[in-house]
Amino acid sequence: MADNGAQEAAVDISVSARASIPFGDNSVWADVSPLLESACKDLRDGDLIHGDNFNLFAAMSALEIMDPKMDSGIVCKYYSVDEAIENGAAPVPISFDKTVDVQRTIDIMDHLLACEATWHKGHSLAQTVFSCIYLLRPDRTSSHALLHSYCRVIRATCKAVISVVSDARTHEEEDLFTMAYGLPLDGDGDEKCLSLLNAVEETTSRQLRACKAQSSRRRVLEDIEPLQTNLDLEEGYCKALLCRLRFRKHFYHVLTSMRRPQGRGLELARKHISSCILELECILKSSEFLRSSACGSCEDVLDDSTTGSGCQPVGFDASLNSRLSAPTPPRAIKILSWKKAIEYFVKLLHDLDILCSYSLDPLLEGVLQFLVQFQKSQPDLVARSHLQLLLLQDGKLYGRDSIFAVITRAAALPEVTKNHNIQKNEYIVQLGQLVINMLKILCTNAAWQRRKLGKMLQDWRVIYVQLELVFRKDFGEVSSIPDDENICVKIFQHILLWVEEQTYWIASRFLILGFELELYSPSEYCMVYWYIYVVLIKLAEKTHLKMATRNDTSKRKAKKKRDSLKDMGREYRIPPAVLFVQCQMFLVEGLTMLLAALANEHMIVQSPSPFNTEQERFIQHFELLQKACVPDHISYPSFKESTAYARFSTLVMYNYFKDAQRIAKEAKSSFANDPEKLAELRKIEQVAEHNSIALNVICRVGALDRTLKVSFEFGHHPYFATAVVKRS
Amino acid sequence: MDTKNEEEETRKVEFEPVEIEYVSYGGEHHLPLIMSLVDQELSEPYSIFTYRYFVYLWPQLSFLAFHQGKCVGTVVCKMGQHRNTFRGYIAMLVVIKPYRSRGIATELVTRSIKVMMESGCEEVTLEAEVTNKGALALYGRLGFIRAKRLFHYYLNGVDAFRLKLLFPSPELFSSLPMITNNEDSHRHTDHMPPEECCELH
Repeated sequence: MADNGAQEAAVDISVSARASIPFGDNSVWADVSPLLESACKDLRDGDLIHGDNFNLFAAMSALEIMDPKMDSGIVCKYYSVDEAIENGAAPVPISFDKTVDVQRTIDIMDHLLACEATWHKGHSLAQTVFSCIYLLRPDRTSSHALLHSYCRVIRATCKAVISVVSDARTHEEEDLFTMAYGLPLDGDGDEKCLSLLNAVEETTSRQLRACKAQSSRRRVLEDIEPLQTNLDLEEGYCKALLCRLRFRKHFYHVLTSMRRPQGRGLELARKHISSCILELECILKSSEFLRSSACGSCEDVLDDSTTGSGCQPVGFDASLNSRLSAPTPPRAIKILSWKKAIEYFVKLLHDLDILCSYSLDPLLEGVLQFLVQFQKSQPDLVARSHLQLLLLQDGKLYGRDSIFAVITRAAALPEVTKNHNIQKNEYIVQLGQLVINMLKILCTNAAWQRRKLGKMLQDWRVIYVQLELVFRKDFGEVSSIPDDENICVKIFQHILLWVEEQTYWIASRFLILGFELELYSPSEYCMVYWYIYVVLIKLAEKTHLKMATRNDTSKRKAKKKRDSLKDMGREYRIPPAVLFVQCQMFLVEGLTMLLAALANEHMIVQSPSPFNTEQERFIQHFELLQKACVPDHISYPSFKESTAYARFSTLVMYNYFKDAQRIAKEAKSSFANDPEKLAELRKIEQVAEHNSIALNVICRVGALDRTLKVSFEFGHHPYFATAVVKRS
Repeated sequence: MDTKNEEEETRKVEFEPVEIEYVSYGGEHHLPLIMSLVDQELSEPYSIFTYRYFVYLWPQLSFLAFHQGKCVGTVVCKMGQHRNTFRGYIAMLVVIKPYRSRGIATELVTRSIKVMMESGCEEVTLEAEVTNKGALALYGRLGFIRAKRLFHYYLNGVDAFRLKLLFPSPELFSSLPMITNNEDSHRHTDHMPPEECCELH
């Protein structure tokens, strides 16, 4: 904290006066006590030495030694793992009473599951899973086959999960997650965890068979030592153990099969996922037995307990590791309850199952739709990491299709172009990188995703300008070359059009995510819907153009064979993909105008804020879009211009909601095979219908009844609001 | 910030708004008052360096509210260059429970924001927990927007919003109520939220 002058003084005093401890080539250890003493004499009470590099981060990283909230070196119970073990904190065997030993083993298994879920949910590995003393000393458990096999598979699973998350690495979310320094993740022989686990499972299932045979008074076929001594409880404990062991086995298999290249292990992974879910059900059911048989030792069986039995587990101490989890303060963290942990794993497995049943759609449009749909259930980090690794392997989609091939398909170019030399063009290579980045971003959590998409808009805009420049330089005026004759011209034209379309898609996703993240307040809805509207117009336009060029190409081929006159006579129909955007467009236009009319006719009162105006809020919300000129020539004045004259008298004449409803209805017939789009269209139709009615009510009653209150809800759709009209 | 706000809303103190005295940070004797207020209301532990960092570098941006000699609220801020903008930052805002919902937090933070504006800040930012409805409403009324959501921002795993207030660029200044009618605009002491603190990390 001393400034540079003081630091120089320090060198004078301490280094010359005291012997230093050599340390490496460029550094020495030196005793700073004399410096501190002399500095203290210069300082009066409350004085602060301030250096330029003492910024907020430095101030906040500073610790007050011996303050239990900050000093992670402060001794809690034990100085070290060894001391904890010497004091009997993690005995092996856990108990000499075999029944108690089994009970406690199960408690450890359950608490570890809770720790694992807590880790997945964003806490450090050191403070969760590795608060287990048994895990920290891999060799100590070797005499206890059950515990040993379980600890091994836990370490191996953690390692596999860390590898998935760190391979997918796209942002800061996983920093804490993958931090494992100082932790014994590589137990000797952990790679063979499955064979040991299988052996233990085999023994336990034999014990189960033996006790079942005994209870039905059949002759015991094999001489096998029971799991524990209380024969009444034998079956229950065997079952409770078996489902726990099997869950671990299948879960490990899920993780490894999902990592197989090009999605080849997905089918196998699905089988293990369904086994995992079945075992989790058994684990949950075993709680009843465990609670009743553990009775007496723990009276307060609470729902936030971390074990199925409700007992406190033996062998855990999170404070032992607090020195290993440097960036977090040494505060205790709350481990998820056992029930919540099971819920977490069920959700994780369902999310993974959705991934595994994905058809690996070769069309980018399909990939994007899948990504958006998948993200709706808010999958956690582990599932999202798997998603990304599935989509992108070795710089290819699914490790299979080159990104250029993906782009040519998305740009509606014929299949042959995917091998064209143009893919070596510098800007086309950059464009490929942008597509990869976009896909990665779409796999991140919604908050991060929105920020990154917003920033990325500028990159898409820049690449468009660069591609256009190259195009003009190389091929001159577009119109002078008939595009059939030059495949390069065609590729460029199509790609340019597609880049624009994709840019508007990103912009609409950016805006819509703002609703999911609750970034908009009701007073801002009008401008937000207006912005979505201007983006959707562009999106519809570009999609339409792209489809038209595709039809052109295919029609021209057809012409050679067939009578061209027939073609001419056919009625032109708007493609369903365009209709899909159009109905949303009308809906948001309607919402914009409804909100504007409410403000213009003073039915929504907005008190002015003391420091700025609506214009500043507009600038802030759409800063990233404006910077990227998405769309061109859009500004606050254009927003005001298009909304300033909205009145109910005109709105009722031209009801945008009716258009939205009509188009949604029309589009539905084209998406009979796409349940997701169909569901979306249904919702749009509903919102449009409700708003249409609300609009009519306001128009009829509003002028007479000034007590009419209009508010907006998201009951029918997550981001298209429904107006609710009430008399106050 | 912690969420223990709604539990003990009972022991309200009776007072008139004029009885509250607002003072700018006046020196080392104010520091223990600020520290004890923040320590008792906010969950995150701050070292004394964090407090000194703020109050020594920007004493003019820190304010305390007193009622009959007792410190009942405080605001601690900073300002400086951030990328290409000169930006103010509200680090801590606390009003003790019996004094909440009476406009004290709004007054404290308004005073800081005014100094920031006069010092040439282009914008003001802060973070607030997504669950802190009171603080979000307070800042919303002052013109802040929710610029970003910060995933798992706090150590307890809760998300935060980054709130931002953009000041109008100078040529637009004249259209603002704050500037044209400086006398009345900050006297409102009505309907205040129950929870009015924010904190940095």
